[in-house]
Amino acid sequence: MDTATHMLRTGRRGPLFEYQMALRDLRASAERLDLAWSLAWHDVVSRYRGSILGPLWITLSMGLMVLGIGFLWGELFRVSVHDFIPFVAVGIVFFGTVTTTINEGCETFVQASGMLSQTSLPMLTFVWRTVLRNLVYLAHHLVIVAGVLGYFGFWATADYPTAVLGLFFMVANVAWISMLVAIVSARFRDIPQIVQSITQAAAIMTPVFWLPDRIPPRYHLILDLNPFYHLLQAVRAPLLGGGVAPHTYLFLAAMAAVGWLVTFGIFANTRRRIVHYL
Amino acid sequence: MKAPPVSISCQDLTLRFPVYGVDAKSLKKHLAKITVGGKLGRHHGSTDVTALSHLNLELKAGDRLGLVGHNGSGKTTLLRALSGAYEPDEGSIEVQGRIAALLDLSLGIDPTATGYDNIRLRGRIAGLSSRQVDERMDEIAEFSGLGPFLAMPVKTYSAGMQARLAFAAATAVEADVLLMDEWIAVGDADFQKLAHRRLLKLVERAGILVLASHDVELLRLYCNKVMRMEGGVASEVTPIKNLDALMAA
Repeated sequence: MDTATHMLRTGRRGPLFEYQMALRDLRASAERLDLAWSLAWHDVVSRYRGSILGPLWITLSMGLMVLGIGFLWGELFRVSVHDFIPFVAVGIVFFGTVTTTINEGCETFVQASGMLSQTSLPMLTFVWRTVLRNLVYLAHHLVIVAGVLGYFGFWATADYPTAVLGLFFMVANVAWISMLVAIVSARFRDIPQIVQSITQAAAIMTPVFWLPDRIPPRYHLILDLNPFYHLLQAVRAPLLGGGVAPHTYLFLAAMAAVGWLVTFGIFANTRRRIVHYL
Repeated sequence: MKAPPVSISCQDLTLRFPVYGVDAKSLKKHLAKITVGGKLGRHHGSTDVTALSHLNLELKAGDRLGLVGHNGSGKTTLLRALSGAYEPDEGSIEVQGRIAALLDLSLGIDPTATGYDNIRLRGRIAGLSSRQVDERMDEIAEFSGLGPFLAMPVKTYSAGMQARLAFAAATAVEADVLLMDEWIAVGDADFQKLAHRRLLKLVERAGILVLASHDVELLRLYCNKVMRMEGGVASEVTPIKNLDALMAA
């Protein structure tokens, strides 16, 4: 919002001005993306100080979960392990990134209250911090994905460029959701529980642990209207050698556009107040 | 490129605070109010407090302003506004120069991280690049006197050690405008002497100091101007020699 040596703060001058100031915050946070990265990296490093495996610890437990669910549920659903383990592995890893980025989003501003109340740092820096931190974790978990795809022979048929495109859509959407819950959680302290309930419900309603083609046609709306399904499908399907339906991209693009507009509007209108909520 | 001279300028600065009660922080209670349609309770449990009211302040390089006033008179709010954290509701604040706010030392300290990591974090937040932090690391580490403890998590420190770390990290910045809420000399007697000297150096280098304090002697020692706050309203800025008259008024 300011250069290193100049700071100007003014009172409200109408709604348009508030949007301009919110845009300035966005631009300033983009210019100082290295700071968001430093903060994110600090989170990753300090969380695992003292444990031998470091961040791979979660990766290991996630890997065990993939194996357990893959074998047991594959048996229960009578699906071949060869198909089911890669499906579950990719699903858990990317769905995990979606839900933790959203869940941790609730803490974004609350945790940063100390810094927000005595510095002129852009507020969105802290949103990027949460998103970047979770991307670092995702990078760790990709070990599981790579291992499973390699072992079961999907690595040769996987469509990586399309998967990266899917990842882009995923991040574009998860970022606004994370930002939205960050603002709302600062104002209302019971939001984090509600958000957690929603992401938990999503884990059950979304085909992470079960195959989407098992669902009877009359229940198909559970997939078509489920944003988490589209988020996941855009990344998972290309990795497993399947195609992504065009309406998934349409859904994700519309969701990102509407989501960013609404969230940015809320940010512009609450920006001044967020520090007082904390 | 020559930067414009260091200055602070507040014009007609008014800052209002929403104060939220417990009820106001609950979405469920908000929804319950809407559905029941009840207007019981005060205005959703939040009240506006006018923390600063039509404040005008002009400071230039060399000014060392002391802020006096009772608790809740708006001193800290003014410092936070000057740091850029609080946005005015009316009027404007303009600050030329690099700002360092030493308002609450413990803020930004992550207890699970090591001393080194905390110094790094604090430096990055203060606007130093990673390389600049690394260059200063030795000096900060030496000043803190914590030696090998710096490689350990801060939560294992005693309160005094934590204060040393926070102080060393927070004062490693270069600032043109220094904002302080109480003089923050901390630690045992030896360290206090060191801390004092370090703060003085920081104050000397800074163009402008704004110091809120209840300690009259301290203000006389470091400030050349003084302003009294009362209920968010500021007095005129007067030379420090009028401090007694100002306090009595």
